[in-house]
Amino acid sequence: MVKIVLDGQPLEVAEGTTVFKAAQQAGVAIPHFCYHPAFVPEGSCRLCLVAIEGSPKLELACSTVVREGMKVATQSPAVRAARRGVLEFLLAEHPLDCPICDKAGECKLQDYYQEYGLTESVFREFKEKRDKKVRIGAKLILDRERCVLCTRCVRFLAEITKTSELGVFERGIHSEVGLYEDEPVRSGYSGNLVDLCPVGAITDTEFRFKTRPWFLTKGESVCPLCSRGCNIFVDYHPGFPRVPGSAKVYRVRPRTNEAVNGPWICDFGRYGLVEMQRTNRSDKLVWNKGDRPTELSWNKVLTVIGERIKSLRERESAGGVSLILTSWLTNEELYLVKRIFKDGLGAAHISFADPVPGPADGFLLRAERSPNRRGAEEMGFDLRPPDVEVLARDTRILFVFGPHLAGAPGGGAWKKALDKIPVKVLVTSHLNELAAAADFVLPSAFITEKSGTLTNGDGRVQRIAAVARACADVRPETQILIDLAREIRLGDGALDALDGPDSVYRLLAKDISFFGGRP
Amino acid sequence: MSAATKILTRDFELGHLHRIETYLDRGGYRAVRKALLEWKPEQVMDEVKKASLRGRGGAGFPAGVKWSFVPQKTDKPKYLCVNADEGEPGTFKDRYILAHDPHLLIEGTIIAAYAVGIHLAYIYIRGEYELIARRLEEALAEAGAKGYVGRNILGTGFDLDVFVHRGAGAYICGEETGLLESLEGKRGHPRLKPPFPASVGLFQSPTVINNVETLANVPFIVLNGAAWFLEQGQAKDGGTRIFGVSGAVNRPGIYELPVGTSLRQIIFENAGGLKPGRTLKAVIPGGMSSPILLPEEIDVTMDCDSVAAAGSMLGSGGIIVIDDRTPIMNVLAKVAKFYAHESCGQCTPCRLGTSWIHKIVKRMAAGKGKADDVDTLIRLASNIKARTLCPLGDAAAMPIAAIAKKFRTELEPAMKGSA
Repeated sequence: MVKIVLDGQPLEVAEGTTVFKAAQQAGVAIPHFCYHPAFVPEGSCRLCLVAIEGSPKLELACSTVVREGMKVATQSPAVRAARRGVLEFLLAEHPLDCPICDKAGECKLQDYYQEYGLTESVFREFKEKRDKKVRIGAKLILDRERCVLCTRCVRFLAEITKTSELGVFERGIHSEVGLYEDEPVRSGYSGNLVDLCPVGAITDTEFRFKTRPWFLTKGESVCPLCSRGCNIFVDYHPGFPRVPGSAKVYRVRPRTNEAVNGPWICDFGRYGLVEMQRTNRSDKLVWNKGDRPTELSWNKVLTVIGERIKSLRERESAGGVSLILTSWLTNEELYLVKRIFKDGLGAAHISFADPVPGPADGFLLRAERSPNRRGAEEMGFDLRPPDVEVLARDTRILFVFGPHLAGAPGGGAWKKALDKIPVKVLVTSHLNELAAAADFVLPSAFITEKSGTLTNGDGRVQRIAAVARACADVRPETQILIDLAREIRLGDGALDALDGPDSVYRLLAKDISFFGGRP
Repeated sequence: MSAATKILTRDFELGHLHRIETYLDRGGYRAVRKALLEWKPEQVMDEVKKASLRGRGGAGFPAGVKWSFVPQKTDKPKYLCVNADEGEPGTFKDRYILAHDPHLLIEGTIIAAYAVGIHLAYIYIRGEYELIARRLEEALAEAGAKGYVGRNILGTGFDLDVFVHRGAGAYICGEETGLLESLEGKRGHPRLKPPFPASVGLFQSPTVINNVETLANVPFIVLNGAAWFLEQGQAKDGGTRIFGVSGAVNRPGIYELPVGTSLRQIIFENAGGLKPGRTLKAVIPGGMSSPILLPEEIDVTMDCDSVAAAGSMLGSGGIIVIDDRTPIMNVLAKVAKFYAHESCGQCTPCRLGTSWIHKIVKRMAAGKGKADDVDTLIRLASNIKARTLCPLGDAAAMPIAAIAKKFRTELEPAMKGSA
């Protein structure tokens, strides 16, 4: 350990720590543009200069390593003057188009100007005219007038993805970020450039001009699109009364977790999740009775389904209830299914229909495209896909969770089999051709809309929180299953006492040792 | 100038000095023989340290000390880079050494490499010096044929390969780490220091970077000793300097003089003084980046410490003499344009500061100056100074601030109108 004094306060930090990180550990924020913890320090923005006793010049916090007895001042008049100087230079050539800039509200240049700048502009010259709308990737637009040349984007593609699509061209005031031979950014991690950009130089076509950051609520969740379980922020409009209309997810951003995804997420998750949250949502309770679908209330539909199960139990001791699950269900939901249908009702068949695995990219994206297969395995489920013919033979009531059966290998074999089953209940957040084949369609919450836990491929149990609700009729499976259990009156006292995912997890943790530790 | 003070330029009047036969006839490569056959590498390094041979490129850092920073034990190769990217405006001394006496540089290079234990040297030469680069390559071939470069030099077992690398015309590639990046085939963007090149330099390996004139002095230190070398100059700044005098003098050119010669003597005696009827307005003493001196300030002696004490710097020894015929606005405009043009653009204060200054100066030169422009120039220069990634920021800020401060009255007519 090394003892230093930071702004008059004694501080002990590990050997080899930079002044920047030492300050961070002491809760002192040092302004910066080019520095990013994942990259080699570049020292080009010159904003993180601090005063170190005995040094004739101000030194960079990002690259200077602490020495025993070092005295650092991060707020001295000289330091503040240097920061003001850098900001004055940057703002002199900045287009100041904050009113139409997507970054406004979460822009570092704005923030630092508030904190250190607040200078009157004395710039009387003509600002450089630069390209304001350069398409540099499928979803990326570069505005060179806003760029502060921190080169985080260039270094991300050089150091992290190692694809190096971007470089700095020309020199001096004409320096600009650009593509080599106009080959666009093809990295599957391009969305991170938007998050990395401290100003509004790189914007996302999916987010551009759609809303303002200050309208958004930032919810914490976990990406379900592969078994990595990247930690994410889900930024959404909370809906009425803050903004008119219903809640809407606008973007997904990485939430740093060094043990899982670091500070990044892939484009497959980033854009896929927003798209899924918005499209083909199942938002109505439907009973396909006869030729015309009928909309029902939750109470009514659960009573009807409960009655069917009860009458089946009375007539056939062998069960006759089967389930096709999905590992998009949370640990809590899977546990409820196990407790109600496997242990309680002695279900005939339980199988899984999950998205087909895709290619892994060797970085974050994994082949397994479901968030909780590991959780299902640890729960003791057999994750085999359904044998639809055997299923049709033995099943009187079938529960299908999730929309993935429709995409299962074997073509439309599931359709014929389903026709033979008298009662089919589909619990799904998304609609596809399965809905037409089901008797009951129960709209369930999407992963970003429910609370609980997911177990990623490495066995890490991670919390998700309900961050956005798409529509009033949608319910999380936890609630559907708890209510259904009450309807059936299984006589499992523990189930009757449940009131939400937390109480389910407590039960699960007691029951299955893998889930013993709290997430 | 007495003939006795000439060391580096002693034989420049000879024809065909660049041929190895001429060089050998004049006692060439004796220093290599002495160093490699009679001395241990440490002895060479010690002697150069004792000689207070200060870097001739501009920063004036003692060469022997620089060499001693290279770790002795390393599992990486060590490199020597000869900085022949002579780009500082007003500086034209290295080209004379290279053109007239390329073997002198090669000899200094061999001795420096031997002292530090280096087996590969690059001479990074500015691309515009095409004739000189070819001459150097020919000289290297000659030296190789005679066994002074290559494998097992003089049977000592010491190997040294030397390559000539042409730059592409950027001032920033004369900055030592910009030079290294360029040599590695990248953009000439200076590196963040530390680590310094002595520990992490070319190809991530320990590297010595020396100016041409610096290395050209090394053979003489080996032959004549540190004490002799110090006698030629000052106690903390040994030897001679090749001053390049340009501008409003009768005899512009290079003058090799003892370190510590007075600037007044160089201008008025060696360079023949000003043209008839002209008066001295200002002198830039050490290349364009050195702060300008007023006529009353030119009694300074030309050694690193004295010029620094006078508020400027000895730099590369490129003396630019300005007389009353030149409007100072023109000087300011040239300086501002040069640094805005040559800023590599990597760090904020230099990229945006030099450009902003250039824009103000252009406006002033066009007669659209405002009353507070000079103050703004001084303030912007101070926001660049000591805050940039490499010395180019200082190189730009210092002369701008000096001109603005010292010639405020002359610049004022350029500033009409209110703020």
